[in-house]
Amino acid sequence: MSERILSSSAALAEALQEEMRRDETIFILGEDLVSHAGIFGQFKGIPEQFPERIIDTPISETCIAGCGVGAALTGMRPFVDFHFSDFITCGMDEICNQAAKVRYMSGGQVKLPLVVWCPDGGGLRAAAQHSQSLEAWFVHMPGLKVVMPSEPRDVKGLIKAAIRDDNPVMFFQHKKLFAKEGPVPEDDYIIALGQAAVKRQGSDVSLLCYGSGYYLCLEAVEVLKQKQIDAEVVDLRTLKPLDMDTVAASIRKTHRAVTVHEACVTGGFGAELAARIQDELFDELDAPVKRVGAKNVPIPFSPTLEDFVLPSVDDVVEAVRSVTYR
Amino acid sequence: MAQEIRIPKLGLTMTEATLVNWLVGAGQPVAREQIICVIETDKVSMEMPAPEAGVLCPIVEAGRRVEVGELIGYVAADQAEFETLRAQHAVVETQPAEAEAKPISEPERTPAAEKPRQRPPTPTPTPTQAKTPGDGQRIVASPAARKLGRELGIELKGIAGSGPDGRIVLADVQKAAQDGGQARVDAQYDFGLVAQENEMLSVAEEIPIRGIRKIIFKNMKLSISSQAQLTVHTEASAEAMRATRALFNARLQEGQPKVSYNAIIIKAVAHCLRAYPVLNAVVAGRHIRIWRQIHIGVAMDFGQGLIVPKVRNADTKSLPTISGELDDLAARGAKKKLLPDELQAGTFTVTNLGSWDIDEFTPICNFPESAILGVGRIVEKPWVRNGAVVAEPRVTLSLTFDHRVIDGALAAEFLKNLKDRLEDPRLML
Repeated sequence: MSERILSSSAALAEALQEEMRRDETIFILGEDLVSHAGIFGQFKGIPEQFPERIIDTPISETCIAGCGVGAALTGMRPFVDFHFSDFITCGMDEICNQAAKVRYMSGGQVKLPLVVWCPDGGGLRAAAQHSQSLEAWFVHMPGLKVVMPSEPRDVKGLIKAAIRDDNPVMFFQHKKLFAKEGPVPEDDYIIALGQAAVKRQGSDVSLLCYGSGYYLCLEAVEVLKQKQIDAEVVDLRTLKPLDMDTVAASIRKTHRAVTVHEACVTGGFGAELAARIQDELFDELDAPVKRVGAKNVPIPFSPTLEDFVLPSVDDVVEAVRSVTYR
Repeated sequence: MAQEIRIPKLGLTMTEATLVNWLVGAGQPVAREQIICVIETDKVSMEMPAPEAGVLCPIVEAGRRVEVGELIGYVAADQAEFETLRAQHAVVETQPAEAEAKPISEPERTPAAEKPRQRPPTPTPTPTQAKTPGDGQRIVASPAARKLGRELGIELKGIAGSGPDGRIVLADVQKAAQDGGQARVDAQYDFGLVAQENEMLSVAEEIPIRGIRKIIFKNMKLSISSQAQLTVHTEASAEAMRATRALFNARLQEGQPKVSYNAIIIKAVAHCLRAYPVLNAVVAGRHIRIWRQIHIGVAMDFGQGLIVPKVRNADTKSLPTISGELDDLAARGAKKKLLPDELQAGTFTVTNLGSWDIDEFTPICNFPESAILGVGRIVEKPWVRNGAVVAEPRVTLSLTFDHRVIDGALAAEFLKNLKDRLEDPRLML
């Protein structure tokens, strides 16, 4: 499989183009898509190749989400761009009360192949209403799948799996990661939803992470190496369905776990992980499960304060030291 | 600061005690080390001294069962603090047991400051506190450390925890396992009792306790410490065994194994176990678990430690088959060629020291099995038969059993039946 170095934006654009060529029911819906090919360049080339299948909407998230649900119900495969995940509150009824439930309430008579694509995360000095990480809300909602890739390779494989899925999928990508580059295979490949990846083998602690948390962990690994602590990095990639088998195998090896995500710790996905781990792996644990995440406040606009609130490499290192007793 | 009074752990197995009585009344002053109450376990009764001078504030009434580490009261620094405690807890207005009061040096025996108030006893008035000095008896260890300790048979008690607040963590158990020596095999061992080298004693050799020796350590200890074992002996005539053996071996075909005494004994034991299945059992948690199969282990020693290979389903096999299997197990055992599977999953064991001229002995059950048969040497003895003294080959049979599982009469009956079958193998038809 030959690979090139691509950014996450380019990987997404490539995957979308391949999928749109393969299946003509796929179309993209959102704000300011055509003129800029998406605010992160994520739709580059699509307005030219598929002019009728990328649609600019009015500034109404309710309308965007509603159109997505309706189109999916009538046999299309809509890809709905939410611009900033923060705006999803305006589409909550369409997503949580309609999309998440309609397959169930119709007794399986209809499918809902909808991708809700949400750029999220902080660190861009974009203030409290444009910097959130809201994935845990949707993990809590039965009927939705939740995907949160880190590396460009995963973006391509996972977005294809999400598009081909007959259920609504919440697809979160951190804004800061669009420019991150990495090897991406040229082929048409799929990474199945619900498969975590052990991206670095280690023996002393399992860093359970996803999205931007993955890159925090990679940096922490280097610091920990100097302290003779060998950390394993498990990129969850999909939060729901969760690949508990991979998580469990890692903890059986290391006996210690630290969860790392950018969302605030309180009620975050780390809490769900910690609960599952103590429930299923109690006897394997040599220390309490530690959670690393943002402080439980709105993301500040002040750069100094924002850096203080968001989780840092130091936070990961400190958490690891506490669970490894070093 | 008020000092807590907690029930101490007076023995390894102690988990609870009875608070017999308070010797000092609530609100009365006590001196440091003054005896304030008496507690009693199933083994001992003990007088508890005050941890500090002050004012006694009992919160558990006399006569109650109390757990090790349970808070039973406080010694308040002064009357004011006593009043504070009284407001927070259901203070037991004790009447000191005068008659039993020891000659204690009470500084000044004043009547209780206030009239006794009637309060219903509260079952657990213990305040919740994160950490208490008197709480040292609970072993604080991570789940993974506990699991490894269970797997390796290492007692966590005695291991120094390196985690926060002395938590025993995985690394501590791993270290204890590596430290080797007896600490690993028997953490309860009091090293103070081990003689050190001195002018009169010097060490010739130190043999590491590992491999098969470590397994033997663990199993013997488990066997003798967890079961209620005793041994009953009987003597049987070995004449019929001798005749049976001769009968088979006279008709031996080319390549067939010789029938041995051990094979006859195993066959008879298996036959009796069918009739007395409770001897073919283990203790599993809250149940006695009786095995369907009869797999008889035979203790063998080739100079490298005791091993016990099994004759599987011995009750279904003929004498020549059992003999053949025994020969095979012994031959491969001597060459250390036995597979781990062949040494596991036994249900009863036979051990024979006859070849070393041992007449009788008290074997230890092969844990977790509940019974073991020891066989002595076959020796001709003068024996009275039909009023005349004759020379008769005799053998001693010793049955050790777990009295928790097997009643004495039943064990005796089993042994009697075994003796009958050995003396007349036709009973096995």
